[in-house]
Amino acid sequence: MTLDTYVGRSTRSKEAPRHVTGRGHFVDDLVRPRMLHACILRSPYAHARILSVQGDTAAQLPGVKGIVTPADVQRLTRSFKPGRYAAGLRVSIPEYASAIDKVRYVGEPVAIVAADTRARAEDALELIEVDYEALPAVASTEAAASASAPLIYEELGSNVAWQGHVAYGDVDGAFRSADRIVRENLKIHRYSSTPLEPFACLAEHTPERLTIWCNSQSPDVIYDAITEALGIDTVRVIVPDVGGGFGQKIHLIRKYAVLTALMAVKTGRPVKWIEDRSEHMMAGGHSCEQEFDVEAAVKSDGEVLGLRILDTDDVGGSISTLTIHFTNKLNNLFNTYKVQHLRLEGRSVVSNKCPVVPNRGIGKPGMCFVWERIMDRIAQELALDPVEVRRRNLIGVDQFPYTTPNGNIHGSGDYQTLLSKALINVDYDEVRRRQAAGRKNGKLLGVGVVIGVEPGGRNAARDMAIFPESKQMPGAGGVEGAKVKLEKNGSVVFTLGSPSCGQSHETVASQIIADALGVRPERVAMSGTFDSALSPWGVSSSNSGNNFHLYDVGAVHGAANRLRDRICTLAAYILGAEKSALRIEDGVVYADGVSAGKASVTFAELGKVAYANQAQMPVGFEGGLEATYYHSHPHADPLMLPDMHGRVRAQYTFSSAAHAAVVEVDRETGRVRVLRYVIVSDNGTLINPSVVDGQIYGSAAHGISVALGEGFVYGEDGQLLTLTLLDYGKSTTLETPRIEIEHYPVPDPFTTLGQKAAGEGAAIPSPAAIASAVEDALSPLGVKVRHLPLSPERVWQLIRGAQSV
Amino acid sequence: MKHAVTLTVNGESCEGEVEPRTLLVHFLREQLGLTGTHVGCVVGECGACSVLVDGALVKSCLMLAVQTHERDVTTIEGLAKDGALHPVQEAFVNGFALQCGFCTPGFVMAAHALLARNPDPTEEEIRHDLSSNLCMCTGYVQIVEAVKHAAERRRQ
Repeated sequence: MTLDTYVGRSTRSKEAPRHVTGRGHFVDDLVRPRMLHACILRSPYAHARILSVQGDTAAQLPGVKGIVTPADVQRLTRSFKPGRYAAGLRVSIPEYASAIDKVRYVGEPVAIVAADTRARAEDALELIEVDYEALPAVASTEAAASASAPLIYEELGSNVAWQGHVAYGDVDGAFRSADRIVRENLKIHRYSSTPLEPFACLAEHTPERLTIWCNSQSPDVIYDAITEALGIDTVRVIVPDVGGGFGQKIHLIRKYAVLTALMAVKTGRPVKWIEDRSEHMMAGGHSCEQEFDVEAAVKSDGEVLGLRILDTDDVGGSISTLTIHFTNKLNNLFNTYKVQHLRLEGRSVVSNKCPVVPNRGIGKPGMCFVWERIMDRIAQELALDPVEVRRRNLIGVDQFPYTTPNGNIHGSGDYQTLLSKALINVDYDEVRRRQAAGRKNGKLLGVGVVIGVEPGGRNAARDMAIFPESKQMPGAGGVEGAKVKLEKNGSVVFTLGSPSCGQSHETVASQIIADALGVRPERVAMSGTFDSALSPWGVSSSNSGNNFHLYDVGAVHGAANRLRDRICTLAAYILGAEKSALRIEDGVVYADGVSAGKASVTFAELGKVAYANQAQMPVGFEGGLEATYYHSHPHADPLMLPDMHGRVRAQYTFSSAAHAAVVEVDRETGRVRVLRYVIVSDNGTLINPSVVDGQIYGSAAHGISVALGEGFVYGEDGQLLTLTLLDYGKSTTLETPRIEIEHYPVPDPFTTLGQKAAGEGAAIPSPAAIASAVEDALSPLGVKVRHLPLSPERVWQLIRGAQSV
Repeated sequence: MKHAVTLTVNGESCEGEVEPRTLLVHFLREQLGLTGTHVGCVVGECGACSVLVDGALVKSCLMLAVQTHERDVTTIEGLAKDGALHPVQEAFVNGFALQCGFCTPGFVMAAHALLARNPDPTEEEIRHDLSSNLCMCTGYVQIVEAVKHAAERRRQ
C-alpha cells in the first residue's frame, strides 16, 4: 500500500474516544421504562435429579413480579435444535433453556425470578424451594468412560457421547516406512477467555415484536434461539458495545436470552438480566480439557512421515457442543507442515462439569500443541536441533498456494523466514550461551521456538462435511453484508452486518471506505452497532471464526465501490464529463480535462441532488446515494463442499507466526518468569497495524497466561473451586511479559486487499511456546513437559519428581 | 431504612438516599447515571469500577455508598474538561490502549492516580501499580506504553 491510502496506516481509533470518557454503551447501561431485574437460580449440585421446584413462597415477596420454573420452561418453550456444534450426536436429546428433570453441572440454570430491583430478585431466589436427589458426580474423562460410571445422559447409554475419526493419506504405510515411532501423551486443561463483561440481556415484548439487547457475538444464534424456543418470529436482536467475547458469548448465552425473553413475555414488562462473575465462571462455558495420545512416524533425519492422534475431549454436562473442539482441529490439522499422512481419532466424553464453548482458537491451540510438542520430542529422540526438525518439515515458500491433505488451501506464506527472524530477534545463540553459563550456577533458563498457523474466515459447511449423516445443513461458504451511504450533507455513514467485541471494526471499515470513496476517515462514521432489523447480515455475520477480515472487509469494500460508481454516475451527469475522467479527492469529484462549465462537485452538493432534486438527476437514476453489498468469498471453491475423501476447506485464509519464548524457572518455588516473548507474524496486508498489534498482544497474553496457570479446577465431587478471577489465576501486568512483534506480511492472493486474519492468532501457538521453553529450562533435570498448565505447583512437582528419581 | 448522603461528584454537589447495603458503584451507576464506572467482578479483583475518593484510587464495588457522605468522588466522566480529553485519555486513544473498552475507565482512573503520585514512573513501576486492574483484550503492552506517553505529556 502506498502512503496516500488510509489502509496500511494506524489511523486514529474511532471507538476509543467514547470508551476513555466512560460513554461506551453496554447492555447494563441501558434502562427501559418499568424495567424489571432478573436473577437466576442455579444448581448447587454437579449431578442431581430435580424432584420438584416450588416458587410460591418466593412469589409472595414484595416486588417480585414473576417466577419461571422448569415446568414453565417445558410448558412455554420448545427445546433448541441441536445445531452444528452438536454434529455427530447419535440420539436426539432435547435441551431447553433451563434444566428440566436433571442438573448436570454446578451452576446449571434451574429457575428465574424477576423483581422491581435486583436486590429483591436476589432475595427471592433464596425462597425458591428445590427438592434435589443428589447423584454421584463424574468429574474426569477416565471416571466418565468407565463401565460402572453413572450415566449423565441415560439416552446415550454411555458417557462417551461421540467417537469418530478423520484420516488422510496412507497412514499405515507411513508408519511401516518409519525409522522410528515417537510417542507422547499430552494434556491441555480447562480455561476460558473470561471477558470482563459477563453475559447481559435486556428483553422487551411489545405487541409488534420481541426486542432483545444482548451482548452476543453471534446474533444469529440469539435470533434463531428465540424463534425456535418461543415461537416468535418477529424478533429484533440488538447488540450494543460488547465487553469482550473471545468465543464465550456465542453459544450458552442463548439459554439466558430465552429465559430473559420468556420472563419479558410473561410479565409484559422489560426485563434485564446481568450475569455476575461467579455465575460466568461456573456456567458461562469453558474451553475443553483435551488429552492426546500421539504417535509420529519419523525418518532418522527428522522428516515426519505421518501422525496418529487420539483426542479425548471432556465436553462437560451438555451435548450441545459435542464436537466443536474436534472439528476445529481440521482448521489447522497440518499446522505449517508438509506431512501427508494423518489420522485423528476423537472421543467426546460428557462429564458433570460446565459445558464447553468456543474460546479464542477453539481446539486449534490443542492441535498446535500436539504438533509443536511432538516436534520437540522428535528432536530429543533423534538428537537433532528442534528448530532444524521443524525446518525439515515446513511447507516450502515455493509451494504456495498449498493444499493440505484435508483440503485447506494456504494462499501464501514464508514459514522458513518467520523462524529465521524469530531466532534473530530473540538472539537465540546468545540465549543459548547465557543458558549454558547460568546452568553452572544452577540457573534454569530455557528457550522455546514454535510455529503455527491462524486460520481465518469460516466455511459454514465444514462440520456438515465431517458428519454427512447430519440432517441439518448449516450452510456453505459464507455470506456477510455491509451498507454505505452518502448523506445529504456529504458525510458518509456505514452499517456493518456483524457485531464487534473490541476489534476496532469501525476504525478499520472507515479506512477502507475512505480509500474507496476518496474522503478522509473523519468524514466516515458507523451508523450504530448491530441491529438485526437494520444490519445486512448473513451466516458469516458473527464475531467469531476470524470472520471479519474476510467477510466484513469484503462487504465494506464492495459496498463502498458500488457507492463510488453511483457517485460518479451522478457527478458525470452534473459535470458533463465521462465517468472514466473523474477522480475524487477529499470528498470532491473532479472532471479532469473538462474546459467549459463546472469542473468539480462536492459530496455535499451531490447529496443535495440525490435526496432532493430530481431535475438534476440523469434520466433513470435511482434517487439516494446508498449501496449494499453482500460478500461471499470469490475463491470459496474448490472444496467448499466435501469431496469423497472427506476433504473440505475448514477456513479460507491462513496467517502464520513464529513465537520464541525465553523463560527462567525458580527451582525453589516452581514459578516461571517469561523474560522475553518474541513474535514474527504474517497477517497479510495490514489494514491498521496498531489494531493488528493489539490483537496479537492480547491473544499471545492469553495463551501465555493459560500456559502459566490460569484455569478452572474442580473437586472430585464436581464442585468448581475457582469461582473468582483471583482463584482462576488470570495474569496481570506483572506476569504478562512485554511481548515483542515483528510483522512479516505476505499478502494473500485471494482476499480483497491481501489481508489475512488477526484475532485468535497468537493464542494458538503460545501455550506450546511456553511449554517448550519450560521443558528446555528443566532439561538438566531430565523433566518432560506433557501437561498444561505450568502453574508453580505443577512445575515444582515436576522438579521434585525429577530430583527424587 | 435508607440513609441520606451528600457528596461531591465530579465537582458537583449531589444528594441521594441509599440503603445501607448499596455499593458505591451501584449508587453511581443506577442513581446518578454515571455508567462509565463498570462492574466486572464486584469483589475487588478486576478494577473496572475504579474511581477516586478524596483523590485516592478506590474500587467502588468495595465501598458502600454511605461511606462517601461529605466526600469528594471523581469518576471517569469527570476527567475531560470542557470537551478536551485528559492527557491520560488522549494517550489511551492515540496508543490504541484499549479494545472492548469495558476495563478502560478503570485503567484510565488507575493511571491518572499513579501519575498524580509519581509523575515519572518506570515501566516496572507502571506494571506494578496497574496490576490492580485486569484487561482481557490487550495483553497490557499498549496500555503500559500509553501511560508512559501520558507521563511525558503531563511533564511537558
